[in-house]
Amino acid sequence: MKIMPCPLNGPRNISEFACSGEVAEMPEPNRTGDEDWADFIWMSNNTAGVVREWWCHVPTNYWFIAERDTVTDEILKTYPAGKVFTARRDFQGRDEGP
Amino acid sequence: MTAPGDFPRRSFVARKLDEAGAGFGSLGDAAVALDFGDSAAEAETARRLGLADLSPLPRTGFKGAGAVEWLAGQGVEVPAESNRAARQSGGELAARLAPGEVLVLGAPEAEADGLPAALEAAWAAEPLPPGTPRGFPLPRRDSHAWFLVSGSEAAAMFAKLCGVDLRPDKFPNLSIAQTSVARVSAIVVRDDRGGTLAYHLLTDSASAEYLWDCLLDAMVEFEGRPVGLAAVRALGDG
Repeated sequence: MKIMPCPLNGPRNISEFACSGEVAEMPEPNRTGDEDWADFIWMSNNTAGVVREWWCHVPTNYWFIAERDTVTDEILKTYPAGKVFTARRDFQGRDEGP
Repeated sequence: MTAPGDFPRRSFVARKLDEAGAGFGSLGDAAVALDFGDSAAEAETARRLGLADLSPLPRTGFKGAGAVEWLAGQGVEVPAESNRAARQSGGELAARLAPGEVLVLGAPEAEADGLPAALEAAWAAEPLPPGTPRGFPLPRRDSHAWFLVSGSEAAAMFAKLCGVDLRPDKFPNLSIAQTSVARVSAIVVRDDRGGTLAYHLLTDSASAEYLWDCLLDAMVEFEGRPVGLAAVRALGDG
């Protein structure tokens, strides 16, 4: 069984986890064209190499980030999402933009 | 004759308990399986390998920003680390499931509502919106079934169902594992009772009958059997 080191629960069977795709920065919703927004929502880069992905430990519903090499399928490191998302990000409304 | 249907609240596995010949008694508003005919023999079974249903017992939870601080202000001892539990003065457990989440399990020895109900009432008595964040209540009595697996063979039995090493020398008392047991998500809390190895096992109430059968099946080779609340209380007495 493949082992995933969960930042909250420690090493666990990979069957306890669900992967939710790569971590992508959200563009400003009100200043982004349809094509770029669709790209953000639907498309993935499918990088061959090291990627950052969202993973969830299902028994605890705990979401975290894992760095994984998609070529060797090695999990390099995992950490809480708070290490990346350190501050609240507010977006301006559609009519408030310059 | 007391039957589970006579009470406003009964266990998720009440039918299985009834079929196994349980004698029911009242615990607050709930029917609880006190024994299966011979509580003295069950106390012995519980020291080797016993499965008790604690689902009718009180329990609750709190989660979110400020929840841990609010609980500490109520006099609850909350462990500093996640996945550890702390025993309270009345025998209850405060199980820290995450930095911002605590599960409070009532004491098997207690008669009725106890600390979980007192905390729920205290939380509700304070005005909304809160002046300082105090998280939100996370009632656990209807969402989760609660079993106790006890006895010297408990870890060997769990090895068949669970990937986490729960052996007593690897999994210290009052440790928590939130993991998969028999393919369903579960919370396992080691809580030795009067010197006997014991694990609380909480799982989604919808899976209660499935897990009850799985556990009994896994216990057969160790001659494990269901035991009543009286046997669990006898363990606590030493």
